[in-house]
Amino acid sequence: MDSHEQARFESTVLPHLDAAYTLARYLTRNDHDAEDVAQDAYLRALRYFDGFRGEASNARAWVLAIVRNTAYTWRRRHHSDTLGTEFNEELHSDSVADEHPEATLLKRDAGESLTRALDRLPIEFREVIVLRELEGLSYKEISDVAGVPVGTVMSRLSRARERLQHALCAVEEC
Amino acid sequence: MSHPNFASQLDAYLDGELAPVDARELEAHVAQCRECIEFRDRRLALRAAIKARVPTFQASDILRQRVRSALHKHSTIRPWRTLAIAASLAVVALGTWQFATRRSAGEALAADVFTSHVRSLMPGHLTDVLSSDQHTVKPWFNGKLDYSPPVYDFAGRGYPLIGGRLDYVGGSSVAALVYARRQHMINVVLWPTARSRAQGPATQTRQGYHLLHWNTSAYVYWVVSDLGLVELREFSQLLQEADSARP
Repeated sequence: MDSHEQARFESTVLPHLDAAYTLARYLTRNDHDAEDVAQDAYLRALRYFDGFRGEASNARAWVLAIVRNTAYTWRRRHHSDTLGTEFNEELHSDSVADEHPEATLLKRDAGESLTRALDRLPIEFREVIVLRELEGLSYKEISDVAGVPVGTVMSRLSRARERLQHALCAVEEC
Repeated sequence: MSHPNFASQLDAYLDGELAPVDARELEAHVAQCRECIEFRDRRLALRAAIKARVPTFQASDILRQRVRSALHKHSTIRPWRTLAIAASLAVVALGTWQFATRRSAGEALAADVFTSHVRSLMPGHLTDVLSSDQHTVKPWFNGKLDYSPPVYDFAGRGYPLIGGRLDYVGGSSVAALVYARRQHMINVVLWPTARSRAQGPATQTRQGYHLLHWNTSAYVYWVVSDLGLVELREFSQLLQEADSARP
């Protein structure tokens, strides 16, 4: 990588380190692993930067896609025993009303309720919420990052919000 | 909410992600549906709560430092690697050049269209504007191209419109329209005949994809899909009939 490419990396990719860490933090749910994932993702980003020819405005989604894939790899390596339950769009989606153990927990601590509820979502729901609500990505960008069609992004977001809504309503009037 | 599909429509609307036509239709419905108004207000409250209480995080100084030092280490490429890269680039350049001189311009365009089709099938690359409404897709190209491609709706004939995107073929930006037949995607790439009139074979097959090509007085057409040749010809026929019916 020559100094020009180095400067390009510094100005287009490096500014998204906080965003990358935030996504890693929500996908791994702890600081230590989030650091590892974010660092690993940035090393990969360096390696693949030659291939990134997009506009600077696409760099955010590009690096978040790498973080996301790194986090999934990390997860497979560390949770290979718990991967028995594959994510099932229907199974994990419609039984909102009858199971929310979060409700009891939440009443104790309204301030943290939403963050906790988010942490309890299946990773496929968690990532769309983080990418949309915290990182401000468009549906199209989320679809690129998560590797699913825009229609799936749309329904996952809606179902994830439905769950958060239940958690919120358990502690507040709504 | 009794109909989950409607919930996700309303969510997309609040996110500003619904096509204008669909948005107008939804607004008209919400205005007179109490259930929808309550749903909308709950969602707005949720959004505000997320903004206020769900934190974003900052990368630690240690992490930032590690990334920076990796970046600087990365800048020193060992000489033999540079040589190896240069050598392989030379081979590629030579190969491309020989290939390019051998094939005609028409073949080069066909290759571009074919590549565009394959790339469009990779996740997230199919459409820039996702709508089955021709009156949403057509105006989307305004200001992006110096022509306004004809967009049709053949849903009634089993070829629904999926959307459109900008693509790059033969060294220029072009319109690509996406139609579907069951699970098969059909890409229609077209540009004004005045720009360049391509001379290529009318039908060809590459790696299981069929490529049909014709010129009208107004447009150069390329149609590509993994759909069977009989149905793809039927679809092309529909396009040609619709074109010739235009004023």
